[in-house]
Amino acid sequence: MPASPPAGAATAEASAANPIPQTPSRPRDLLTKDDCLEIFRQIYLARYFDVRLIKEKKRGRLRGTLYSSHNQEAILVGSLFGLRPTDWISPIHRDMPAFFLKDIGAGWHNADRVGMSIEEVCAQVWGKVDSPGRARDNWSHIGSRAKRIIHSTSMLAGTIPVAAGVVYADRLNGGDAVAVTYNGEGSTAQGVFHEAINYAAVHKLPVVTIIENNQWAYGTPTRLSYSQEDFARRADGYGIPGLVADGQDVFDVYDKVMEAVEWARSGKGPSIVECKTFRAYGHGDHDDDRANKYRTPDEVEAGRQRDPIAVCRRTLIDLGYLSGPDAEQYLAEGKNAADATNDDFPPDVVSYLNEGIDFALKSPLPSPEEGGMWVFKEGN
Amino acid sequence: MAAPAKLEAVGVGAKAPDELVTTPPPGLPGKKNYLTALKEALFEEMERNPDMVCQGEDIGRLGGAFGVTEGLQAKYGENRVIDAPISEAAIIGTSVGMALNGKTVMAEMQFMDFISCGFDQIVNMMATYSYRTAGEVNIPVVVRGPAGGYGGGALYHSQMNEAWFCNSPGLRVICPSTPYDAKGLLKAALRDGNPTIFFEIKELYRKTEIAEELPEEDYIVPLGKAAIRREGTDITLVSYGQNVAHCVQAAAELEKQGISAEVIDIRTLVPLDEETIFASLAKTNRLIVVNEAPMTCGFAGEIVSRVTTKAFHLLDAPPIRITRLDTPVPWVKPLELFVLPSVEKIVQAALKTVRY
Repeated sequence: MPASPPAGAATAEASAANPIPQTPSRPRDLLTKDDCLEIFRQIYLARYFDVRLIKEKKRGRLRGTLYSSHNQEAILVGSLFGLRPTDWISPIHRDMPAFFLKDIGAGWHNADRVGMSIEEVCAQVWGKVDSPGRARDNWSHIGSRAKRIIHSTSMLAGTIPVAAGVVYADRLNGGDAVAVTYNGEGSTAQGVFHEAINYAAVHKLPVVTIIENNQWAYGTPTRLSYSQEDFARRADGYGIPGLVADGQDVFDVYDKVMEAVEWARSGKGPSIVECKTFRAYGHGDHDDDRANKYRTPDEVEAGRQRDPIAVCRRTLIDLGYLSGPDAEQYLAEGKNAADATNDDFPPDVVSYLNEGIDFALKSPLPSPEEGGMWVFKEGN
Repeated sequence: MAAPAKLEAVGVGAKAPDELVTTPPPGLPGKKNYLTALKEALFEEMERNPDMVCQGEDIGRLGGAFGVTEGLQAKYGENRVIDAPISEAAIIGTSVGMALNGKTVMAEMQFMDFISCGFDQIVNMMATYSYRTAGEVNIPVVVRGPAGGYGGGALYHSQMNEAWFCNSPGLRVICPSTPYDAKGLLKAALRDGNPTIFFEIKELYRKTEIAEELPEEDYIVPLGKAAIRREGTDITLVSYGQNVAHCVQAAAELEKQGISAEVIDIRTLVPLDEETIFASLAKTNRLIVVNEAPMTCGFAGEIVSRVTTKAFHLLDAPPIRITRLDTPVPWVKPLELFVLPSVEKIVQAALKTVRY
């Protein structure tokens, strides 16, 4: 068994349980300067979405629990950036930005892109009728067949078999779509996680299972969820590749996920990509205070020392894509929602989300009778 | 089986044969058993719908533990007839995913007892899909498999757990008792577009007494339409599955004592044809409901509840439920028969009700 890095201190050199043979060039080497700057902007967008929603909740304007993706944005941006519009994803509660980041490369304001608009996502967060699910289930429990986003439930890992079935059907139809599923490390202990990945491995289905290992499954540390250090080693039992990515480094996530996606698309089957990261806050905002009791301040500080905004900024500076005053502005890294202001983010990111929120505030609540509708196909 | 029983299907497009066949000569051309009827439904729907997929444990090479899918993989290939690992949650979950991407799926449970291993995927993922997407996504998946007791199958090969699914909004729940209905209801379910739990009675699979001729032409039995298996005026016996035959036999016994019993086979639990039950009670004013699931929170209780809340004025006596005792299904015959409904239990209850 290869040496493993300590929890919360992931590096790009982290062990790969079962690597995919490397090609001479890394997927990131094909990214242009504009691609890299766009990736940086998308990380800001994901962070700003989180920061702003926490502020809105504190102002009493939101109902329900917030599951912050703070400090984990590189996983979403890095994994989604290289997907094709025809690919499917299944985000979970901590992946709310994934809904609008999917296919955002087709244009932030492009209504025809195969991803949700910021308006739709905000309408869902505010529980309004213009939500893709007409606000029938909460938070991340939305999806869209047309946008190729699988609808999640609260039963974690439960969307992995659904994703496997989706791409099974796609393959029957002659398609080459890949499904990327998002999961916390805690949900890998679910029986359905095993059943679904085993099924996908048997049928060589193009399913990439991302494990966002943020060290905490609600109040349970990783050592009580799994007996090995790298959750990617789950792959060993299925004879499929298991990769470990530095979840704080958007380009490392991009590399590993694209390797897995191409492996899947070429017919070689499923794989697991573990992205090591750290949960910035509590499980949900209801848990923030208690999380300060089951986690020590030192642990939290250590886990958050490599903010994905800072890591990405460093890479762009090293590449020469950011320099001078441009490299020194919008310093959102390391700031909690309470400390961050709009000035810490690019103005186009702020205005983009404002448009979504304005739309959500104007959207009406669903009519009460809708509560009794659509149990069956016939409508009631 | 006792004397031939009158069959009368209710509802548009549903035409049942006139009489139950009591003892068809083995191998008589034209007579088809319950299992053959199911098999025909699958072959015909696979032929009719190129977007249909079947999967389950051992359904391909083996043709299913009971042979319902025999020959299906040879005809339609491994991609459309999938031998799945022993993974009920993955079978249901992948079926939901295939349906999300445009397929119609038949998912076989080797025994309906095993459906509990896929329970979350059924009640939280599949059943709720239409509701939580405000109708954007419907899931045409039929989960079917053998169920029921009286065969010495013991605790884990005898269950009737239909009540779990009737209590999960969004699922059709079906249980045919004749070959004609088995074929017609399975075809209807595969075209319905809603997720369905389809209970087959394994003791009926090869029962020659109920073999019957099936129409040459394509037909369905519409969901939500009960069948009157025997007409009567003194008491109404409501049931489904293999207990329908017990009710018909009990009715024959009661006739000898001058009591005219009407037997209703509800055929589909969700949706339930209340009107046929109420219409019968308007004649008989007495109700016995029979099923082989446990009594507490079972579907017999649901029928009694609907009658007492919606048609209380029709009743002249308290309704009676005859169900399995609130026990698991034990193995050896005396134990099994002790806990399950029987003709004798129905007759005794009917006499008590009529004399109330």
